[in-house]
Formats: sequence, C-alpha cells, structure tokens
Amino acid sequence: MQIQRNNILPKIITYLVLLIMLLFTLMPILFMITSSMMTSRQILRMPFNWIPEKFNWINFSKAIKGNDFNYIFLRNILNSLIVSTSVAISTVFLASLTGYGLAKFKFRGRHAVFMMIMGTMMIPFEAIMIPLYMVVMMLHIQNTYVGLILPFLVSAFGIFQMRQYLTTFPTEFLDAARVDGMGEFGIYAKIVLPNCKPVIATLSILAFRGQWDNLLWPLLVSQSEKMKTIPQYISAFAEERSTDEGAMMAAALLASLPMFILFMSLTKYFIGGSSVYESRKG
Amino acid sequence: MANKKYRGIERKQARWGFLFVLPSMLFFSLFNFYPIINAFYTSFFDKRALSKLAPKFVGLGNYERLFRLSTAANPLSFYNSLRATLVFTLGTFIPLLILSLILAVFISNLSSNRAKKFLQISYYAPAVLSSVVAATIWMIIFDPRGLGNQWVNGILHTPGVDRRWLVDPVMEQVSTMIIYFWKYIGYFVILFITGLASIPPTLYEAATIDGANKNQTFWRITLPLLKPTVVLVSVMAMLQCLKTFSTQYMIYTNGAPRAPINVITFNIYITGIQQQYLGRASAMSVVLFIMMMLLTLLQFQTTKSENVDY
Repeated sequence: MQIQRNNILPKIITYLVLLIMLLFTLMPILFMITSSMMTSRQILRMPFNWIPEKFNWINFSKAIKGNDFNYIFLRNILNSLIVSTSVAISTVFLASLTGYGLAKFKFRGRHAVFMMIMGTMMIPFEAIMIPLYMVVMMLHIQNTYVGLILPFLVSAFGIFQMRQYLTTFPTEFLDAARVDGMGEFGIYAKIVLPNCKPVIATLSILAFRGQWDNLLWPLLVSQSEKMKTIPQYISAFAEERSTDEGAMMAAALLASLPMFILFMSLTKYFIGGSSVYESRKG
Repeated sequence: MANKKYRGIERKQARWGFLFVLPSMLFFSLFNFYPIINAFYTSFFDKRALSKLAPKFVGLGNYERLFRLSTAANPLSFYNSLRATLVFTLGTFIPLLILSLILAVFISNLSSNRAKKFLQISYYAPAVLSSVVAATIWMIIFDPRGLGNQWVNGILHTPGVDRRWLVDPVMEQVSTMIIYFWKYIGYFVILFITGLASIPPTLYEAATIDGANKNQTFWRITLPLLKPTVVLVSVMAMLQCLKTFSTQYMIYTNGAPRAPINVITFNIYITGIQQQYLGRASAMSVVLFIMMMLLTLLQFQTTKSENVDY
C-alpha cells in the first residue's frame, strides 16, 4: 500500500504541473483567437465567456482599415514580408558562402577571420543601433527597404552553423568536381548548397522570424506610414485603439497567421532551430 | 615540378577561400566593428542629432553624468535603468531556468512519445508570436476587468480585487516578466530536453542496478551531467533578458508609467532617438556592450572548460 502511494503521488504531481503549464501557455493564444471575434464589451465581461456571442467580423475589417482607414496594414504586411524574406535569403547566401570558405579552404588568417566573426556575437544590436542610425541618416536611407535590411545581411551565428555543418562534408566530392573541371563558384552553387538543406531551412526560419519580430530597428528607420512594418503597425494600432480590444486582437491574429502557418508546416525546423544552439558546446 | 604545380593549386585555393569570406568580412567591418568603435568615440562627445553645431568633446562627461550619484534617486536616471534591467533579468531568468529544467525532466520521463511531442509544440507555441503581439494579448489580460484579475482572484478566492497589473510600479515589472517568461519558456524547455537526451541511458541503467532511486539519479547523474546545458541556458537567457525592448515599449506606449520598466535598451532609445542626445545614448550603449561582453566571455570560458566526457 505504502509503496503504491509513493509511486502514484509523483505521477500526479508531474501531470498536474505539465497540465497547469499547458493551460498557461495555450490560454492566451486561445484568448487572442476567440476574442478577435468578440465585441469589447464581451472581452472584458466578468466572468469571461470563451465562446463568442456572435462572430463580430467587423474587428477584422477595422484591423485592416487601420487608424486612418487607408488600408496601410496591407502595405505594412508586404513590407514585413519583403524585409524578412530578403534578410533570410541574404543570410543563407552569405552564411553558406563564408561557412564554406572557412570550412574547406586553407588560407592565411583563416583562424583570425573565424575568431573575428565569432567576436561579433558579443556586440549586441542594441549597443550599436545609435551609430547605425547615424550611418542611415548620413546615407539618407531612412524609410527605404535598404535601410531596413542592411544591418541584418548576415549573422555570425549563421556562419558558425554553416561552418560546423560543412566541416563534415566529404572533401572527395569537391575534389572530384574540380578534376571534372568545375569552377569553384559552380562547386559551391551546385554541390555545396544543395547539400545543406537542413541548415538552410533552420537558418532562413531563424532570420525570417527575427525580422518579422523586429520592432526596434524599424522604429528608428521607418517614420513614414508606408515604410512601417507589422510590429510598428500593431504597436501604433494598439496605442490608438486601446479601448477597442476586439480590433486589437484581430490585428494581432492577422499578424501572427503567417508565422503560425509556417510553424505548423515546418515544426521540425522551428524546434530544431532552438536546439542548434546546443552544438555550440562542441 | 609537380611540387610547384601543387603549390600553385594551393595558392589558388587560398585565394578562393579568401574570396568566399570577403563579403561577410566587409559586412561585419561596416555594420559591427565600425559602429561599436563609433559608439565608443561618440560617447566622449556631446552630440545632438539635429544640432548644426559641431559635437563638443566632453571626455568622460557623459559617463560621469550617467553615474553621478546625485541622480541616483531620480526615477528616470541611468541608475534606475541599471536597477530595472537587473530586476527584470534576474526576475525572468531564474524562474525560466528552474521551471524549464523541471518541465524538461517531467516531459522526458513521460512514456508516450505523442504526449512528449504535443507538450513540446504547445509550450513552444508562444515563441512563434512576435513580442509585440505577445504584449498586446497580455495587456488585455491585465486590464482591470480582464482575465488576469479573474484568474488570480479565482485561485486565491479573493473576488473583486484589482491587482493593478499595469499601474502599480512593482506589479508592472512583474507583468513584463510574466509576458517574457510566457514567450520564452518553451524555447528553454526544448534546449533542456535536447541536453537531457544527450545523456546516455546506460548510465541510468547502471545506477538503477546499483539500487539508486529516481531522486538520487536526478541529483547524482542528471544534474551534474547537465551542467554545461545549465550554464549555456542561463547565460543565453540572461543575454536575452538584457536585450528586452519590445515588451517595455508596448506597455509604456499604452499608458503605463515609464520609470519601473525603463530598462537600458529602452533608455537608449528614448535618450538617443526621441531626445536626440546621441553622445549620452552612446555612453549607455558602451555600458550595455561591456556588460554583455563580460557575460559572453564567461559563457565561452565555461563551455570550453566544462566539456563532459561520458
């Protein structure tokens, strides 16, 4: 009897803790989804009723029309898509190129170059944003895509990942291609790149999300409504419509949908993307 | 002859390798090294963004101003920012570390693989939302009539009490910590699950044969072997917390008081961008940089020396 109780109690505690945590993580997301269809009165009713009384689609039209009824949200979504996609592409391109160069070529100063790139991990963006802002003002690229994209073209972490991955790539393949007369850039584009698909997937998701989530840099660079990105839009919308909770949640839901679709279809790479940090141990 | 030719190939190879790393080197020089040097340089000047006057050299004046003791009591001083950052970092990363470790151990001990996967994905789901969306959701939950009060009052059986989530200085800090904790918990749980999975099961078998119970195996095997992951996760969580900005910005722009959540990054933004004191903001940036650099060096040091052989 004693033994049995000892076995069951820890099990109950385990399940209870896991369940409470599950409610804690999922309830706010469910709250966003369900309240995006509610009137503000229903959202703040005590006690809260999780089922919308009627589907209040006007929240979504308010969210898309925006503060000035000019549908700027659609333009801001496009901006976020352009910036995030460009950053993802350039990160993959530059990180693979550099990672390949560091992993498979012997040249003087290779180690120094690698250490230098790793060193940039110590420089937080938040500490260099003021000088970067001055650069942007000097070059007159405020309110441009170039200004939004430029500081994020490649990341040290991406290069590190690519290098680690390519170090184990069999050199014989590369030599065989060289014997066949393939150019060095051709080898990179036709042999190396197609063979690092998992890292490419992880890295592009990481880079894409980083910009999708970025509020600070667009806040500095984009002052014109037309060049703002989604986080700025949500922030301005929430500020102006602070009493229209339903519309706020509709805007938040719309902003999250693309990311959720990506997450559902590429879960492996999202979750893998966080554990790649582990390899830094090695 | 052959030797000479070989050396020629080697030189050619070296040139290609250099060519491949060159674009990134240029990028890092222009957008990382130049700005950080520039931040140090600018921090010695009284530089205003819109002023036509040439920046005035003030030596350590900006730093002296930041750390002037007479400002310590000022609610918006840099001392307060250091305090707000420290409180936020400790208050977020300690619960994150402890709870993510516990949850990871619990999940790893589950027998059903589907339950494991479901829990990992569910815990991770908030991380998919952007920080701005996360803050927006929680701001409504923290409304006086919102779910936050209803939940807490339901658990504590204190009907009708308003916790003043976004009004009271202490509660406002707690609220930012909850939002951040909620967004990142799944991420750290997964890091720990990966770390736990790398411990060879044979060790547990051996311990069980030797008569160790679950409790003993956790403290004697799991935890010591997990130490590298613990160090890695703590430093990463700390670095992450030091850089927090969006949550504080969102809460502030929606009318909450600034002083309790005026973390360093937020102070840099207000001072440098809104008030246009670039020199002073640069000095703050340098302080932030030094703090993060020390932490990162610590991480490199510990991960280098703590490699465990199983």
